[in-house]
Amino acid sequence: MKVLMTYFKRYRVDVWIALLSVIVLVFATLWQPRLLQVVMNAIIANDQQTVFREGLMLLGLAALGIIGGIVNTIYSARVALGVATDLRADLYAKIQSFAYADVEKFSASNLVVRMTNDINQVQQIVMAGFQQITRIPLLFAGALILALVTMPEQWWVIVLMMVVILLASWIAVKRMTKYFAQTQQNIENVNTVARENLMGIRVVKSFVQEPNEIKKFSTASDALTLVTAKIGYWFAILMPIFFLAANLAVGVAVYLVGQNITTHPGYLAAITSFISYLMQILYAVINGGFLMTFASRAFISLGRIQEVLTTEPSMTYVEGDDAPLKGDISFEHVTFTYPGDDQPTLRDVSFTAPAGAMLGIVGATGSGKTTLAQLIARLYDPDSGVIKVGGVDVRQIPEKALRATVAYVLQRSTLFSGTISGNLKQVSPDAELNHMRWAANVAQASEFIERLPRTYDAPVEERSQNFSGGQKQRLAITRGVIANPEILILDDATSALDARSEKLVQEALDRDLKTTTTVVIAEKIASIIRADQILVMDNGQISGSGTHRDLLKTNRIYQEIYATQKAREEGLK
Amino acid sequence: MSDLKNAGKYYWHYLKKYWRGFILSTLLIAFSTWCIVIAPTYLGRAVEELTTYLSQWTNPATRAQASLGTFNHTLVIYVLLYVGDAASIFISSLILARVTAYSTGTMRVGLFRKMQRMRVQYFDTHSDGDILARFTSDLDNIFNAMNQALLEILLAVAQFVGLLIVMFNQNTTMAWVTMASTPVALIIAAFVMRKAGKAVNQQQDDIGQLNGYINEQITGQKVLITNGLQADSIKGFSGYNAKVRQSALSGQIWSGILNPLMQGMSLLNTAIVIFFGSWLALNGSMSKGAALALVVVFVNYAQQYYQPIMSLTSLYSMIQLAITGARRVDEVRQQPDEVNPRDGGQLDGIQHELKIDDVYFSYLPGKEILHGITINVHKGEMVALVGPTGSGKTTVMNLLNRFYDVDSGQITFDGTDIRTFDLNVLRENVGIVLQEPQLFTGTIADNIRYGEPTADMARVVDAAKQANIHDFIESLPDGYSTLVSDEQSVFSAGQKQLMSIARTILTNPRLLILDEATSNVDTVTEAKIQAAMDNVIQGRTSFVIAHRLKTILNADKIVVLKDGAIIEQGNHAALLQANGFYAELYRNQMVFE
Repeated sequence: MKVLMTYFKRYRVDVWIALLSVIVLVFATLWQPRLLQVVMNAIIANDQQTVFREGLMLLGLAALGIIGGIVNTIYSARVALGVATDLRADLYAKIQSFAYADVEKFSASNLVVRMTNDINQVQQIVMAGFQQITRIPLLFAGALILALVTMPEQWWVIVLMMVVILLASWIAVKRMTKYFAQTQQNIENVNTVARENLMGIRVVKSFVQEPNEIKKFSTASDALTLVTAKIGYWFAILMPIFFLAANLAVGVAVYLVGQNITTHPGYLAAITSFISYLMQILYAVINGGFLMTFASRAFISLGRIQEVLTTEPSMTYVEGDDAPLKGDISFEHVTFTYPGDDQPTLRDVSFTAPAGAMLGIVGATGSGKTTLAQLIARLYDPDSGVIKVGGVDVRQIPEKALRATVAYVLQRSTLFSGTISGNLKQVSPDAELNHMRWAANVAQASEFIERLPRTYDAPVEERSQNFSGGQKQRLAITRGVIANPEILILDDATSALDARSEKLVQEALDRDLKTTTTVVIAEKIASIIRADQILVMDNGQISGSGTHRDLLKTNRIYQEIYATQKAREEGLK
Repeated sequence: MSDLKNAGKYYWHYLKKYWRGFILSTLLIAFSTWCIVIAPTYLGRAVEELTTYLSQWTNPATRAQASLGTFNHTLVIYVLLYVGDAASIFISSLILARVTAYSTGTMRVGLFRKMQRMRVQYFDTHSDGDILARFTSDLDNIFNAMNQALLEILLAVAQFVGLLIVMFNQNTTMAWVTMASTPVALIIAAFVMRKAGKAVNQQQDDIGQLNGYINEQITGQKVLITNGLQADSIKGFSGYNAKVRQSALSGQIWSGILNPLMQGMSLLNTAIVIFFGSWLALNGSMSKGAALALVVVFVNYAQQYYQPIMSLTSLYSMIQLAITGARRVDEVRQQPDEVNPRDGGQLDGIQHELKIDDVYFSYLPGKEILHGITINVHKGEMVALVGPTGSGKTTVMNLLNRFYDVDSGQITFDGTDIRTFDLNVLRENVGIVLQEPQLFTGTIADNIRYGEPTADMARVVDAAKQANIHDFIESLPDGYSTLVSDEQSVFSAGQKQLMSIARTILTNPRLLILDEATSNVDTVTEAKIQAAMDNVIQGRTSFVIAHRLKTILNADKIVVLKDGAIIEQGNHAALLQANGFYAELYRNQMVFE
């Protein structure tokens, strides 16, 4: 709630107008039965003038109500959207300031949900807040007071009505809460079966398991149906009870008026307004109940947003010169554990690679290859040890300088939607067509880009899905080389390329980016066979380092990997 | 408009069997409406009685005659009417809650059944997310609309009709007065709703774009960070955010304004009725008591008059969603089923040979993928399909167990076209191991016996052993009872692949199709998978789609596909000697000094 207050302050005027218009609206709603009573009395008294005057007042009140309602809607919307927009912008800026570890901690999809659903919840509750939440207590209190003023003796009728309503709600809500939790679980079960069958439809069909899957789904679905029906039954009983309670209260009140009419003849004209107030109390209670459940959900959302806003980025950069550094890399006794893990992923890793060299990294899945490369790009900081780029501890390099030095191409590094040139210019804003062509040539991408109808201005769809796996990787490499980085990391970035294209990429890198240090992570030994130095990773440690020839002689793990990849028949050269 | 028609057909299909419930609910609702509209007249009469009583009582001459008997009597009827109302609403709500829950349940299962019958093509041409959304949001929208709107609509219509009847019965002049503002209200409502519809559409479009942007950027956060593009990303975000603010503001205002406007109209209407009613009371020919009663009653009506219109307009967007939802679910319902021949032939393995005979095939009309493929396979042979991405390897596999049917040509087992076999029998004979293994929620044992749920543990263990995964399973704390769920995957891609191989081994298929795992598996794990695959292939007729040539060196026949046609065919040695495409591919892939 405190978070919201700071945002409300930015829209102080709108907030005040919204609140004032609520008061106007409530006044109009509550005063109408009152005026009505006066008019009735005037009719009884045959006082035509009063009828006319009060009638006009009534019309004025209606107009006031309409204006109040419209103004309230407009200004509530202004506040709600202002707050939601600002909150969203702040949240996004916060996420962009996060280190990658922070993004992982929340998980990307979770952050997206907070940016979309949770913000939407907050927006709706703010809107409803200025329209309803302020109105309901006012209406409730106002109607209660006016009802008591109208017929003070009948206070206990009102109390009795509310006791019945609250008791019924309490019992129903207690039961329904249990059912709601069950519904959630059941929905998840149903969705799991549906999703699994969608993804595995070929498996289901090829094993001819359709009847069993239908049985499985029906069981899950029937459980959901049953709980839904039960909730429906409870709702079915709740509403009639509410209205019956209110109407019984009206009956009792009118009966009492009748019994005592001789002492309070004025009550005759007050019957209608008293009924109106009773009904308004009822509506206030019902709407209040609905809003409470709604608000509790919104507050959970607000809490989730706040959690992100109050998280400080776990990594900061020093200020300083933006100029790129030289491309030599060194690791000195680096140990690294992923946040949340208890085992280190890298243990005491040390090596050096001179600028301009090609460094290959091989090893089994999970041996720490990617982790090692990510530390060069400072996606994480090590637990202990030092990583140096261009002779400087990466923690002492200003962010811009580090990004200008190191380019990282991921196995699945898709481009963002837009155009090819738009993506390239994001990294290298001054790149002209010639330069783009050069980069695409290096990545063996120019061949297919030039064949596209709009070449470099060709559209890139979401997740680059209008390109094949190999094309995506080539585009990603193009983006990687376009800024002429001092260090280029290819993290399994050529896995979808055929051997021939891969070779051509490497030759082009040798030719056109001579001074660039290339770090190549690969499954295939063929990808790194030409490296100046190959690191063999095993379980977080470097088990061997050297050229292909050296390792083939000395390193058991390297030999094993090689054995699984080399041709069976030796004589087929 | 055709949306509405399709949606109508859809609801009719699922709701027609509840017609008794609907008729009963409608009758009950009509009764409750009658109670509600008639009740105020009793209140009016009570007030009238009370006025008479009071004037009799005030006048000493008539005081003796004054009695509250009729008043009390009227009041009892008034209360009873509301009891009747509550009871009938309760019962019809019960019925409708039941209808809603069970009919949406039937819709859900119906959709799932349909999914199981549909052709694979549908799944290949629609995203999983889109199909799943029909189970989640579309059916949800349908449920919500039925749950909330059904009763409301029936009530609103009944109340409106009932109100009109009662009003005209009471006093024609006052009835017309009460209705006088209707055209204005309707024009305002139509205008505002049109505006709101447009504004909300724009708002949804803009929100969709914003969400798309956020999703893409945050999912690609690693790329943003490693390229130092955060500031850029914020700049792009601000544009979308500002746009949403603009369009959402007008969307919220237009859709939020209808309620206060209608409420205002209702107040205005009340004022008009009071004005006119009091004028009638003062200038008309009625007794004062009757006139006062008339005002009381019609004030009540005037306040109720806009209720049905208001509740219908507030339900509008919900109904809209339910129509769209029904249209989308019905679209699935209209999809063609798989073709299973009537009295299809039985099949017990391949005795002599399998023949793919001059097969042409296209996924989309006009875009032919396979151009005249012919492959002969003898019983027990292993055939490898090799070729670049998009050459048609996977397509051939799709045809063998009839995920798709050929355009022309035929595939025969021992001379019989596979399209004449019973579909289920055919698939029981053809086993498939897919590139991306899909496991199902349940235990490991359940997953291995997936194709034959009745298989005993001995067979499960045996299959696991053949697939080289037994030792791993035994090393888990819960062994074969370990729970598998596809989301929280404790298993690596390689382990899943081995389990799916075990699953296929257990069903002992006569013809085997293996789509080799490529990515996400390192070469050491790959060697393990290879060994398991070799076990399965032993003694079976098999097709292997090979991505790494190392795995197929001893295939009986290697078929090289390129652009949907066979360019080379023969065993490894022969193809190397031919020194064509295959030889080039092979040299490229292997590690040579």
